[in-house]
Amino acid sequence: MTAVRIEGLTKDFLTGFWRPTPKRALDGLSLEIPAGGVFGLLGPNGAGKSTTLKLLLGLLRPTSGRIDLLGRPPGDTAVHQRLGFLPENPTFYDHLTAEELLTYFAGLFGLTGEARRQRAAAVLDRVGLEADRRRPLRGYSKGMIQRVGLAQALVNDPELVILDEPMSGLDPIGRRDVRAMIADLGRDGRTVLFSSHILSDAEELCDEVAVLARGRLVLHGRVADLTSRDVTGWHVVVSGGEADHYRAWAPGTTVQPLAGGRYALDLPADLRPETLVTALPSMGAALESVSPRRASLEDVFVRAVGEPVTPAGTAR
Amino acid sequence: MNVRRIGLVAWHVFKESVRDRLLYAIGAFALLLVASAVLIAQITAGQDVKIIKDLGLAVIEVAGVVMAVVIGVGLVAREIERRSIFALLAKPLPRHEFILGKYLGLVLTVMVNVVGMTMALYLMLGYAWTQMPVEAQLALDAPILDPRLLIVMVMIGAELSLLIAVALFFSTFSSSGLLSMVFTLGLYLTGLLSADLRGFGDVVDAAPAVAWVVQAVGWLVPAFSAFDIKAQVVHGLPLPAGFVTGTLAYAAVYIAAILAGAIALFSRREFK
Amino acid sequence: MSRSRQIVAGVVAVGGIVIAAGVLHARETHAPLPVSEARLLYLRSGRVADRLFLTFDALASDVYWMRAIQHYGRDRKSPRWEGRFELLDPLLDLTTTLDPHFNIAYRFGAIFLAMDPPNGPGRPDQAIALLEKGLTASPDHWQYAYDIGFVHYWHTGDFAEAAQWFDRASRMPGAPEWVRQVAAVTLVEGGDRAGARRMLSELVDTDEPYIRAAAERSLMQIRALDAIDQLTAVVERYRRETGQAPSGWADLVRARLLAGVPVDGAGTPFTYDAATGVVSIGGGSSLLPLPRGLESTRK
Repeated sequence: MTAVRIEGLTKDFLTGFWRPTPKRALDGLSLEIPAGGVFGLLGPNGAGKSTTLKLLLGLLRPTSGRIDLLGRPPGDTAVHQRLGFLPENPTFYDHLTAEELLTYFAGLFGLTGEARRQRAAAVLDRVGLEADRRRPLRGYSKGMIQRVGLAQALVNDPELVILDEPMSGLDPIGRRDVRAMIADLGRDGRTVLFSSHILSDAEELCDEVAVLARGRLVLHGRVADLTSRDVTGWHVVVSGGEADHYRAWAPGTTVQPLAGGRYALDLPADLRPETLVTALPSMGAALESVSPRRASLEDVFVRAVGEPVTPAGTAR
Repeated sequence: MNVRRIGLVAWHVFKESVRDRLLYAIGAFALLLVASAVLIAQITAGQDVKIIKDLGLAVIEVAGVVMAVVIGVGLVAREIERRSIFALLAKPLPRHEFILGKYLGLVLTVMVNVVGMTMALYLMLGYAWTQMPVEAQLALDAPILDPRLLIVMVMIGAELSLLIAVALFFSTFSSSGLLSMVFTLGLYLTGLLSADLRGFGDVVDAAPAVAWVVQAVGWLVPAFSAFDIKAQVVHGLPLPAGFVTGTLAYAAVYIAAILAGAIALFSRREFK
Repeated sequence: MSRSRQIVAGVVAVGGIVIAAGVLHARETHAPLPVSEARLLYLRSGRVADRLFLTFDALASDVYWMRAIQHYGRDRKSPRWEGRFELLDPLLDLTTTLDPHFNIAYRFGAIFLAMDPPNGPGRPDQAIALLEKGLTASPDHWQYAYDIGFVHYWHTGDFAEAAQWFDRASRMPGAPEWVRQVAAVTLVEGGDRAGARRMLSELVDTDEPYIRAAAERSLMQIRALDAIDQLTAVVERYRRETGQAPSGWADLVRARLLAGVPVDGAGTPFTYDAATGVVSIGGGSSLLPLPRGLESTRK
């Protein structure tokens, strides 16, 4: 089952007032997003992530290419009935309360009477705003607005949830909560498509990711495959023996002494740990643990995009 | 077309506008002016009732125009500037329903205000009545609490509905609220002069092509001056039969046309 | 919304505006608001208007000027006699109060006001009052004084008064030399066509199209008066030669005294009354009525 199918999607923006020249924001993107699970659309700022999401929602019209959203073209009312959308840095109406906003939006989905009120209350509860639901949005902090945005994206109990930079502007607790919510949505069998430039979130949450850079798709696959495909070495912890023995036995190994007479050894990928393990008794040492060192999504990403994308500190 | 969704959007516009301080400022200013008409009337001997009516009607119209333009232009422009429209258009809300809902919501907001100001005007007139000697009452052109003032209100209501449609139209394709406001006010002023433009050829010996163009403009711009019967009613003069229905029919057709244009443009619009 | 529906909406928009214009036209035809004084002149007093328009007086004066022209143009075409041109004076008064230096409003306004029915209200008194108001606002404007003289000369036939105003105009700064000649001739000879012709030929050279048009029309009137004199002489000659009065223009054409039926500058044939032998300007001519005081020849 495919939730979203994108074929050869290209979008040019005209820039310049007097002599508009087209600037390509998205270049021949083809992508299939399977139904159920969490899909991450990653890339540096200006890679075309928001453009892609807006094209999916019919807020922009493609220059060329096709989009198929839950079996329908974008902008179709019937499709919108089944999806939820959180825009990037959302804003709503200053003079409404969270409860009024959610009741209003629930009404647009055709809910009436008690069902409409209950639905609004339930999603506010889910994002942790039940205490503040009667306050005008004007007085909300950025993190609270982000939660309202998430609530309004879920008010129709959607099959497909599209979130544009859902973690931006949140404090660590807020980010943890949102992460947990996204994971829940994925477990419920919904399709969650979110864009982010924060890789650790994606690595933790996504079943599958696509990486965009300068409007082109540069990488696409299951997170598990992308990361395990590149085992960069082995991490072995041993107790006993001497550091020099280990260095002499296997050149290229880094040795780090740990507390209690233990050592952490980092073996290069071409050296199988089995050979070390069989040699341990002769060195008077014992095995404590062996684990593969895999490329993190960030390593894969930097290699694919060709440039470091997240300034230190924002990723983790 | 889903009437319920249009109604929801309209009701939400009304709610938002009613809580906006801007609306209160305009409304309070207008009420103050209507009330001050009583004071002004006291220093212009003999013409009290006429002046209260003149000033009251003018203030109601001007306040309505300010509301229609300021709020009407902001209605769509602000949603786009603040990007709240992204979440809204992701709902199962077709764009034509969005436009119609916004329009009806603002008409509702402005009409509620016009009705409020009209009630204030009648109160003022009622007060002036109690202060008037009987012989002065007999000398009036028109009764003090003239029910025909309500016809003026209907005309002002139709004029404002047309103006709101114009404001909404400009805000659907312009990216700047200020620019839409300038366009709307410009077209409003042109519309006030439209009768003069239509009569252009009668009096000026311009080149036929020029006269033709000016007259065409006079016929095609929304004729805001065609709704003005204030003087007629204040002086107790008769209105020709068919005038009110003709004017309302004009407003209805023109509003439908402008909204269709707004929908056509807004449906093409992209949101970057 | 699909592309085709958008096109439909666009067509509805354009077509709707045209239909709306049709509805408006129908309303204005079948249920026109009577053009009442109260409506055009919502403000009777120029002074009230002056306060009311705040800093937009000049703009408001333009609007009233346009209304004055429209009122004049509409009434001139209308078959209605009652209340004809009655708003012209108050509209011009409002215009010039709002903008006291609205030059053309005084000068052209005066020409309108002085014009005899059916082309104008025939109110030289109002014309003179308007020009005097202009003189109060701009005491150095010799044209206003000259125009007052002209109204006296042309419309009231008071040549003494006219000569006085011409004289006054000639002493004002910037007045050209010929004004003094006009003043002198008028003083000595009163009204005659030669003097009038000289005056008008100066006015025909002006840059103001309205004034030029009025002067050209006046010149045509003088030429018509000359033509009447000549035609009367021709009629007289026919009578002398044949011993009987002609029965119409056809007799004179047959006698080769005329090339054809004589017409005035506006293209209307002159009329000849066989019973009285009087030649006059055609009844439908746009040059009617001819100026008073210049009908008899005093050459």
